[in-house]
Amino acid sequence: MLETVAQAVINGLLIGGIYALVSIGVTLIFGVVKIVNFAQGEFVMIGMYISFYLATQFGIDPIVSLVVSMPVLFVIGVLVQHFLIRRVLGPNDMPQIFLTFALSLLLLNLALMLFTANYRTVHTSYSDEAFHLAGLYIPVAKLIAFVVAMGLSAALWVFLHTTDLGKAMRAAAQNRDVATLMGINPNRVFCVALGVALALAGAAGSLLMPFYSAYPFVGQVFVLMAFVAVVLGTLGNVMGALIASLMMGIAESLGIQFVGADSGLIVVFAMLLLTLAFKPNGLGGGRVR
Amino acid sequence: MAGINKWKLMSLAALAAVVLVLPQVVKSSFAIDIFIRILLFSFIGVAWNLMGGYAKQLSLGHAAYFGLGAYTSTIMQVDFGISPWIGMVAGGIVAMLASLPIGWLCFRLRGPYFTIATIATAQALMLIFLKFRDFAWGAEGTTIPNLGSSPLMMQFEAKASYYYVVLGLLVLGLAITQRIERSWMGYYLVAIGEDEDAAEAIGVNAPRIKRDIYMISAFLTALAGTFYVQYIYFIDPATAFNFNISIEAALVSIVGGIGTLWGPVIGTVLLETTSALLQSWLGSSTGGVQLTVYALILMAVILWRPTGLIGIVTDAYQRHVNRKPARA
Repeated sequence: MLETVAQAVINGLLIGGIYALVSIGVTLIFGVVKIVNFAQGEFVMIGMYISFYLATQFGIDPIVSLVVSMPVLFVIGVLVQHFLIRRVLGPNDMPQIFLTFALSLLLLNLALMLFTANYRTVHTSYSDEAFHLAGLYIPVAKLIAFVVAMGLSAALWVFLHTTDLGKAMRAAAQNRDVATLMGINPNRVFCVALGVALALAGAAGSLLMPFYSAYPFVGQVFVLMAFVAVVLGTLGNVMGALIASLMMGIAESLGIQFVGADSGLIVVFAMLLLTLAFKPNGLGGGRVR
Repeated sequence: MAGINKWKLMSLAALAAVVLVLPQVVKSSFAIDIFIRILLFSFIGVAWNLMGGYAKQLSLGHAAYFGLGAYTSTIMQVDFGISPWIGMVAGGIVAMLASLPIGWLCFRLRGPYFTIATIATAQALMLIFLKFRDFAWGAEGTTIPNLGSSPLMMQFEAKASYYYVVLGLLVLGLAITQRIERSWMGYYLVAIGEDEDAAEAIGVNAPRIKRDIYMISAFLTALAGTFYVQYIYFIDPATAFNFNISIEAALVSIVGGIGTLWGPVIGTVLLETTSALLQSWLGSSTGGVQLTVYALILMAVILWRPTGLIGIVTDAYQRHVNRKPARA
């Protein structure tokens, strides 16, 4: 019994690392640019297809293809900010919500037309490998994904706290007007925020590829999880999103283990509803907006 | 000013005449099917627009009420033999009651997170209906017994009859919208939509107004759900709680003109006509194509005409009636 619980916790923690990459992106964009990117999941999907094609066409390992998917998505992020989101920033919610929603709809359906609804998988030498540790089963592919995800999260934290650009981003998140007065160019900061957030989504896609199938709707699973984690971790809070994502992964895994194989999503919804009912400001408190 | 009213009245009378005789003139079943879709989604858009358009509570979870309406009337009909006409009203009431706890949860968040909460609650409802096969047939769904011609059970032999039923619903929705638009409630809704905090500061009871308009919006959306399953004679959770219904409800309003009486109708005419044309050009494999085109239209409207297409129509109308340049 204890072993089953421990195994479920490990499984959840490992996938929670991927959720964290997606949630950190969502919360970073929300914190800095003050919009919710409904298309974040579709960028995970794009990352997956990039790795899939690099693996099948050129035999590049999906994890190595991070070095392609992250820069490509960074550039896409800058373009999305500069040509789309910049034009709808303002006090009105409607254009912001429905612009990124339209982008999500567009990317998803383009993928459906270009790649069909088929599931695509990449089989690597380590896809079926696993460590056995004290009776626990630790799949290598998921462990690599988790370690790289945590490494990238740490790198982001260092970037936000030590570099000028990172500090400018945090300043813009705290108070856009004052930051502008201090000589910070908001559009430049927003472009970097979108770029970094999308690069993290792309990394999530590449890291998933050795053990997860790519298909046009794949992003929806992750974005839903990310939205819950972002609310739970207090909107705009990077560390909160990270911790909440790991908790969500564990909760989902325990749900699958003890409620039923297809109940992961129900557990996620239940967590969202409980969060809304009792902790709408996130577990850490803070202000809603 | 009397001149404008005369023009308005004449245009409305002309529109009513065309809409009423349309199914008598056009006999193609394909065309009538498209007309019915246009009227149905106009009606759903009108229901969404009451809350999403005037109060700017941007829900993407109206499929929840569509599905509840569809399931309530179908369960009453299949299990108890009760007429869908009664089931339709019962479904509306169920949806109204369901909107209370759902609204209680979702209204705790504002802006985009309200939108996400509505998506999640609608999806959760679909999962519940997928799980509970004992009382709602689970994932397989069920067909609705075909009784041939039975107007009392909302079943007709001629497609034109369905057309008039859904036309009636749309007229009801538009009449309710117009009444609300001109009442104190309409002003409160617009105030909440403009700035909720400011509205509360001048004494608008925002939580109550939002709750009330959500109930009305849910009630009307549920009527559409009942009509739809009666029209297609089939129900399952994927049809009744389809996310695309939530999307289209919002899309037609935004494309047509958010927070306006006729916006959802104009938006639906454009989107559904586009969809029908795509379907006839490309055959049946239009799943991805249709929504790709919808997404492009939505992006274009948001970037270049955030007030919706109705702006173009009213500008032209103003120019024609007043013979003076339209205001920017």
